[in-house]
Amino acid sequence: MAVPASQAWTVATYVLKQRLFRRKRYPLVLMLEPLLRCNLACAGCGKIQYPVQVLRKNMSVAQALAAVDECGAPMVSIPGGEPLLYPHISELVDELVKRKKYVYVCTNAVLLKQKLEAGLFTPSKYLSFSVHMDGLREEHDESVCRDGVYDAATDGIREALRRGFRVTTNTTLFDNVEPLRVREFFDEMMDIGVEGMMVSPGYSYEKAPDQTHFLGREKTRELFGKILGNKKKHWRFNQSPLFLQFLVGKQELECTPWGNPLYTLFGWQKPCYLLQDGYAASFSELMMGTDWDAYGHASGNPACQDCMVHSGYEPTAVAETFGSWRGLKDTVVSTVTGKV
Amino acid sequence: MSPEPESQSEDPSPSLEGWDPADDGPVDVPDVVEKAFAYRGNVSIDTTGGRALVGYLFNRNASGSRAFVQYLDDKGDGPFTLPYASIANIRFTGNDPAKGNSYVDYQRRKAQNLSALDAPAEASHE
Repeated sequence: MAVPASQAWTVATYVLKQRLFRRKRYPLVLMLEPLLRCNLACAGCGKIQYPVQVLRKNMSVAQALAAVDECGAPMVSIPGGEPLLYPHISELVDELVKRKKYVYVCTNAVLLKQKLEAGLFTPSKYLSFSVHMDGLREEHDESVCRDGVYDAATDGIREALRRGFRVTTNTTLFDNVEPLRVREFFDEMMDIGVEGMMVSPGYSYEKAPDQTHFLGREKTRELFGKILGNKKKHWRFNQSPLFLQFLVGKQELECTPWGNPLYTLFGWQKPCYLLQDGYAASFSELMMGTDWDAYGHASGNPACQDCMVHSGYEPTAVAETFGSWRGLKDTVVSTVTGKV
Repeated sequence: MSPEPESQSEDPSPSLEGWDPADDGPVDVPDVVEKAFAYRGNVSIDTTGGRALVGYLFNRNASGSRAFVQYLDDKGDGPFTLPYASIANIRFTGNDPAKGNSYVDYQRRKAQNLSALDAPAEASHE
């Protein structure tokens, strides 16, 4: 199991508490984007295409912490843009750790080694670097549209591990990947020593430069079946076994768009991390003012039909784990046997 | 009517960059607001009072009698709120950063680099 016991306990008690209070909708991971600029322009990313004055903006730490406190989720993920370009990243992470939030800094790791050497971060069980790695050297550099990034990122990962930090990887797959190469990549990440891996199909961002390689649902199940069907025992994933089963077609899950709400420079994004249907001024306005029935696979919304991304389905998998005997049994069996 | 998609085969997404809806006749404000909301570049909002507000329109609420847009100005200040009723036109005056050619450029550069590497190798076999 890749998630430490203390974190698993925090999540489990949080989810059970929500169920006890009969809360139908609650956040699990706050996605906090304190900036939108990045030092890469990846082919499958639709997050950074904005005018210069928007890309130059930084959220204040006070504003970010107010969002964290209002949301109340036990985990905070900091993507962007590239969070290591955020000038207040050290202060923000320190404050989140003080609040005992489990923090994932979602970085491309190009600057990770440099920032670690500068002493910006202190190892903590609450802090993980979630490094964007889309495959082995050739595939990753192709995915991020720049040669040399794989080497820089793996240097950063090794430095972080050497200094005692928690490191996970975050991999987005498109329909041009070779399953065997992905399996080799998983071996490589395990050899390097990361704590666990996260994997997800890419979302069909309307604004992404490469519109030709997004996966449909059937293709996703087929691809992940080939990658995870004969899962090696030493592979550790930093995500729910039920979500992995969903990717290979062994679980039917519905999207939980409110599970990973996004607070960004424009406010609380409606309805989810991936779709932009507008912004709410407060978390409660997001939760109360969004027509949730209009989203998710079952809604028939065309924008949701091919989506199987972890930001929408991982919260569902976690809720299912603690919400049904079957979910709990499937999770335990998968964890004990190591099979998806 | 919005412009036709660009003819470049490498860029499948049409861009509204440079479009002035007033050129196509009377402006349908709610429709133009939706297009501006989806646009990732700066726009110029012509108000009914005769002002031109330049910035990035990041939000709109079209429901109810108090429909409004929100934008950051071209310095990044804001957000500023403007009711639909005050909008006469929205022109797509800023560059469209989502035109979608970075992947194409990368592939082109990579192909050029490979060609450059191949050239001396071929020469050495002669």
